[in-house]
Amino acid sequence: MDGVLLSKLKNLIKKTVESSSTADHGASGEECKTMLDALNKVTACYRHLVIALGSTSDSQNLREELKKTRKKAQELAVANRNKLTELLKDKTTSKDDRAEYERLWVLFTSSMELLEVDMKRSLEIGQEFPLKVPTRHLIQTGMTGSTTTVAARAMSVQNMKYDADSNIDTADLKELQTEITQVGQMMEEMEMKVQVAPWAVEAKQEAGAELKSTLSVGNSSVGVISICEEDARSCPGDENCCVCIPNGTDSPYSPLL
Amino acid sequence: MTIRTLRDYGQHYRPRMACLKNVEVFVVEMQDPKSGVKGADQKLNVTIIPHVINGQDILAWIVTKMKVTTEEAQAFGTMLVAYGYIYPLQNHRKLVLVPDSTLYRFQTPYFWPVQKWPAEDIDYAIYLARRNIRKKGMLEPYEQQHYDNLHKWMNPKWDFIVMQATEQYKANKERKKPDRVVLDCQERAYWIVHRPPRRTHSAMDYGLDRLIDPNAEEVLTFDVVRRTNIFLTQALMRSAVKSSMSLTAFVKFVTTHHNHDPFLTTPVPSNPWITDSDEFWQLNSRSVDIPTKLSVERWVLSFWELISDPRGRVDFKLFLKKEHSAENMAFYEAAEEMRWGAASAIPEKSQFIFNTFLKPGAPRWINIDGRTMGLTVKGLVVPHRYVLDAAQTHIFLLMKKDTFYRYLKSPVHKDMQKRALVPAPHVFTDAQLEANVRNRNPGVSPILQWQQEEEEKAAAAVAARPIDVKAMVATNKLDRK
Repeated sequence: MDGVLLSKLKNLIKKTVESSSTADHGASGEECKTMLDALNKVTACYRHLVIALGSTSDSQNLREELKKTRKKAQELAVANRNKLTELLKDKTTSKDDRAEYERLWVLFTSSMELLEVDMKRSLEIGQEFPLKVPTRHLIQTGMTGSTTTVAARAMSVQNMKYDADSNIDTADLKELQTEITQVGQMMEEMEMKVQVAPWAVEAKQEAGAELKSTLSVGNSSVGVISICEEDARSCPGDENCCVCIPNGTDSPYSPLL
Repeated sequence: MTIRTLRDYGQHYRPRMACLKNVEVFVVEMQDPKSGVKGADQKLNVTIIPHVINGQDILAWIVTKMKVTTEEAQAFGTMLVAYGYIYPLQNHRKLVLVPDSTLYRFQTPYFWPVQKWPAEDIDYAIYLARRNIRKKGMLEPYEQQHYDNLHKWMNPKWDFIVMQATEQYKANKERKKPDRVVLDCQERAYWIVHRPPRRTHSAMDYGLDRLIDPNAEEVLTFDVVRRTNIFLTQALMRSAVKSSMSLTAFVKFVTTHHNHDPFLTTPVPSNPWITDSDEFWQLNSRSVDIPTKLSVERWVLSFWELISDPRGRVDFKLFLKKEHSAENMAFYEAAEEMRWGAASAIPEKSQFIFNTFLKPGAPRWINIDGRTMGLTVKGLVVPHRYVLDAAQTHIFLLMKKDTFYRYLKSPVHKDMQKRALVPAPHVFTDAQLEANVRNRNPGVSPILQWQQEEEEKAAAAVAARPIDVKAMVATNKLDRK
């Protein structure tokens, strides 16, 4: 897993070195975007995993998945930060480029904020629901499946390998605390070094842009049975429990990306 | 310039949420598979989702566990639902515990209401964007409103929101179907608690953010003890009213004002804050012809009530005009204006008041005793805001002790009592309530109202001037030919 990431980074570095100097900024902008996309993906998956913490789908494996996803997120964060600070410190960029980099910077800081909050919450919940006690008191939320596929998506691998010790919940929490302080320090440093006004950035997407982005994702129909999906028009206070299946192919197992 | 964002999530202490720690312990016990509420399986077409509990079972369990009555257990259960520890599966907007076979489920700890982590707008924006994707653009009206709002003011972060929403959507699709259903229900329940739609009463009334933790133990330093000492000695030095006296006064106030309080009695026709129909305010406004019976009863209670109600004041002034003793009220109002008005206008107003009310031979001379008159006139040499206080109090007491009782016996008032109307209470259906919300209007502009009042005052001042006989003769009004 580490090797995959290292090789990716090496490729990226090679690309930048080989490309000509005039196309330098364009290429680095593209790299930034890909790295940010990766960070975004890992943040989303981390949040998904933290939601499952403390419920009946919690387990040894989940704690390990959390740890691995977190580590990957940190590596990506450091790489992103280095790249972006380098780009933003460069005074020779044009105005458009600079606006673009500021936009990417705002994306980066927002991702980091979400990550920080999720890490703090996972620390709290992890402390409240230990796994090594004789009787676990995990909340019966109705979720029973495993989160392997989500973690695999985060790590960009086909299958997850589990090889942690049995006392991962206590040992991991100590590491988590140090990591949280690290992330906090990193964000403070970033704010000191790079002066970007987050409110001055203009978003490129307009309202409803997310609808267009998922049309390209093949399985756009949602094969989920929703409980009590009331009519969009008539929504009085007391409606009956209705079960509706939206039209489209019903595929419970979506292919791994 | 250094740009620093406030990222300290741990500092928003909300004192009303101090009970949450104990509630969490309770909920953990409640969901225990052996000793807690018995869960069942929910069958939805082909999927089976476990861990579903009955409203009845929850109530019975709370009664046995806490050893309380059914009503108390009902209230407690409703609080659990309103905080979001348990969420209903049907009727998901009504956050109450219904003690029959309605189904509930426990919420995952990530979505528990915790003191330190408020439900941030950026999370809500990501959730709405994801819901937009899932429902293919058909959000509910209140959700659509929130969405548009957030898009407007969170615009710099919108790219991030869209990216996160699509990623989270894809991550969610990796799970199996029953889990996806549960995830969807959970998150929807969380946001109903933290961003409630209309007429959903959730318990997340945050109140103001505080900078210190009210649950933290206060360290007893020397300074703290010293300040407590000073406070207690000063409290001892104050003269105290006997509680029997203050309590009887309190009880008397509550019993007299019981019918006029909108919290204790439902106002007729309807409470505008609840039903969004402002007929109540229109019926009690200054310029209405016939007031409501309730306000007329209120005027009888005391002179102060009569003066404070704008419609009551209009009625009283009408009575005074008939008695030709309107100068008292006019002086009172002029003094109030000087008291509350701009400091720059004080010299001009004091001059006007002296010329109109106080100097011997003034057109609207008020009848106050010599000592007060002397004090006031001397004070007006160097006028300040409160220079007319003594005279104003004297006039107020005069009106209260003499004119008020004459007013109550007068035909003006008795006629008004007969004519006062009792409006019929409103009964709105849900659709009409929604229509009321849409048809809310800002009402009469306060600038217009102030202009009207000024015109009336000017007219009253003109009418109160003494009749100039020479001018009337000159215009042949007295000529009987």
